Amino acid sequence: MSTLTYNKSHFRAVLLALLAVPALFAILAVLQSRIDADTRLMTQGKEELLLRSGQLLKKLSMGYDPLLADIYWTQAVQYYGSRARKPGATYESLWPLLDITTTLDPKLMIAYRFGAIFLSEQAPAGAGRPDLAVDLVKRGIAENPDEWRLYQDLGFLYSIHLKDYQKASEAYLEGSKNPHAQIWMKVMAARVAETGNALETSRLIWSEVYATTKDDLVRRRALQHIHSLDAALGLKKLNESSEDYWRKFGRFPTTMQELRDAGLVGGTLADPEGYPYVMGPNGVPQLDPKSPIVLDPDQGPDKLR
Amino acid sequence: MSTLPGVVAINTFREAVRDRVLYNLIFFALMMIGAAILVGQISLGIERIVIVNLGLSAISIFGIIMAIFIGVGLVYKEMEKRTLYSILSKPIRRWEFLVGKFGGLLLTLVVNTSLMTLGLAVALWFVGRKFERPDATILVAVYFILLELALITALALFFSCFTSPMLSTLYTLGIYVAGVFAPGIMGISQFTPNPVLAAIARFVYYVLPNFHDFNVIASAAHGDAVPFTLIWHNTLYAVLYVILLLISASAVFSGRNLK
Repeated sequence: MSTLTYNKSHFRAVLLALLAVPALFAILAVLQSRIDADTRLMTQGKEELLLRSGQLLKKLSMGYDPLLADIYWTQAVQYYGSRARKPGATYESLWPLLDITTTLDPKLMIAYRFGAIFLSEQAPAGAGRPDLAVDLVKRGIAENPDEWRLYQDLGFLYSIHLKDYQKASEAYLEGSKNPHAQIWMKVMAARVAETGNALETSRLIWSEVYATTKDDLVRRRALQHIHSLDAALGLKKLNESSEDYWRKFGRFPTTMQELRDAGLVGGTLADPEGYPYVMGPNGVPQLDPKSPIVLDPDQGPDKLR
Repeated sequence: MSTLPGVVAINTFREAVRDRVLYNLIFFALMMIGAAILVGQISLGIERIVIVNLGLSAISIFGIIMAIFIGVGLVYKEMEKRTLYSILSKPIRRWEFLVGKFGGLLLTLVVNTSLMTLGLAVALWFVGRKFERPDATILVAVYFILLELALITALALFFSCFTSPMLSTLYTLGIYVAGVFAPGIMGISQFTPNPVLAAIARFVYYVLPNFHDFNVIASAAHGDAVPFTLIWHNTLYAVLYVILLLISASAVFSGRNLK
């Protein structure tokens, strides 16, 4: 083949590649979107893990179990993230994913700490399984007895989700014995034992989670809880003022303005999101229906009296 | 188009047979016979599922090994043995040579996969004594494996045009593994708060060959139907990607100085 012919054919081949390759990639991207839709239909409603045994996976991983644990943890985060706060979301595979992750790498602290939050939060924000979250954290403590933060998580689960203040106090106290533990662990142990179900105590616990977590998702959830607790505290104080009004005038106020006119309240009467509180039937204060704050079931207006 | 690529393809196939590549079938046959006999003893009610999973996984693994290890040597070997010079001195263009090499290895893989599928069918017959309508999904799974192998062969051939077999193997294997985890890459784009990282992950997702979508082994094992649209889309996807890789390989190979 002469040099001229060789150059010409090379030029033609390169020109064809320059024109065809970007065009083909564009077509392939469109096609890939269609395939994604096809596969979504196939996997809809199926939550299947091929292997549910962490021990078996550990054996099959041929020494690469920490790497496999990282992959499973990433999978767990994506699994949770794709469902969190979606109405009707279910989390059947969350526990097996966390179970496998922590079996493959028992030192992977993040899996215990965040995994416990994913498991314990009520649906649709989480799996609503604080019992499994406790199991996970206890397993973490058994594997990592020097990690005092896990005791903080255990205390958190017992006090916030399971309302078992005795066990929560014990967990905080046990964790506080660690020389590296923060001093407030002792304070928390005493406070939970004394006033476990107080809103102020719950707020303190969530504030600690908010201040110490490095994860945005958990921080957002903690802030939501803090706002919810602040709103509940605000409603509680307004309700006390409403009862003072009844004692003074023999009837309940029908508007917030009446409370203000009577000199029983002052300042801005709004929830942490800035929505003004409203007066409900029988002088029971309530959140503005437009407020994005969601009160816990045991903090609603019906629990005020 | 001339018939020359066909001649190269037939010769590549003959060479593979001469190199005893199809001997892996003996190992596959022994494995399937052993599994068919053993599975009845150790599993309870899932004999068919185990045989399908094992058979299809073996077909896929053997095929991938063959596609990569033979594919990366397709061009390099001809250059090493200096047979390429005598081939290219004949009235055959370089892209025709590449297409022929690709076709030859694909033919080898088709023959190999077909014979393994036959072995799988015999093993299934042994454990169940009958074939049912859902078993047709197994053929779809085998077809998808073949599409996957075509794509891997094209990848290996592309790399073999400009680098050594060792590096070609690493590149092909790397892209294959990344392509298997393609949904995870898309997952990064969905969950990262960093828009730049999200855009990069999306770009990589669409540029990488997506090998994850060719895997319907679980559906085949459970007799779940595979939508026709997926069969059609996957076929088109594999064909277009192979064309893209062959065009790229031709562009690289046509400029290669063989002196």
